[in-house]
Amino acid sequence: MDRDSNKKDRRRNMAGADKMDQARNTSGNPPGTESDGLSPSLQAHIGRHVRAVFDEVAREPIPEHLLRLLKDLERSGDK
Amino acid sequence: MGSLRAFAVSLCGDKERADDLVQETLFKAWNHLDSFKEGTNLKAWLFTILRNTYFSERRKRRREVEDADGTYAGRLATHPEQHGHMDMQDFRAVLVRLPDDQREALILVGAAGFSYEEAAEICGCAVGTIKSRVNRARNRLADMLGLSEFEAVQANETLGIIKTA
Repeated sequence: MDRDSNKKDRRRNMAGADKMDQARNTSGNPPGTESDGLSPSLQAHIGRHVRAVFDEVAREPIPEHLLRLLKDLERSGDK
Repeated sequence: MGSLRAFAVSLCGDKERADDLVQETLFKAWNHLDSFKEGTNLKAWLFTILRNTYFSERRKRRREVEDADGTYAGRLATHPEQHGHMDMQDFRAVLVRLPDDQREALILVGAAGFSYEEAAEICGCAVGTIKSRVNRARNRLADMLGLSEFEAVQANETLGIIKTA
């Protein structure tokens, strides 16, 4: 069970990482799993919370004035 | 756009200023669209502009920013050690206390979905620097939260049970 959630988290950590990153990684470890004194469980635990805090804002509806700005910019580009 | 906002919030600590920052970023991006190369990473480009905008403004308004950061951290001040478990509020309070460069690296790689290399480009530093910042950030967080291996494994196992599908 623990192993599964670790794998899932590691995969998520790597989702943003390019595949070429794997090959070029000097230490030979996949990104996100560098041995830094933290166990995989701790890393996964922390990673989850970092993503949660980030996603909390990322998933909010975009404020009206920003949406309008985007629309205006697009329109001005069409001229 | 959502993750751009979230990154902005992680940089300046309050949503209003973050939205102002995003607005400026959009303007700049639009005005410099010709410098953006087709096929390259649009998301990374936007993040880079936002980051540069934030730091150049900060250089101009040092004192103002320090006050803002202090207020934000103060508002979120909780004492994680007192809680049996870690909740979002605690985590956010501690995240704010990380050194800027560590928090930024951790968020770019761990939450915004960039590779180490992309993050390095956004921050204008070496890949190795990003890696060590991420590692230090994680270690620092674990320390500040007094996270024990036991708690982490427990949390992971609980999730494992819930997520069994």
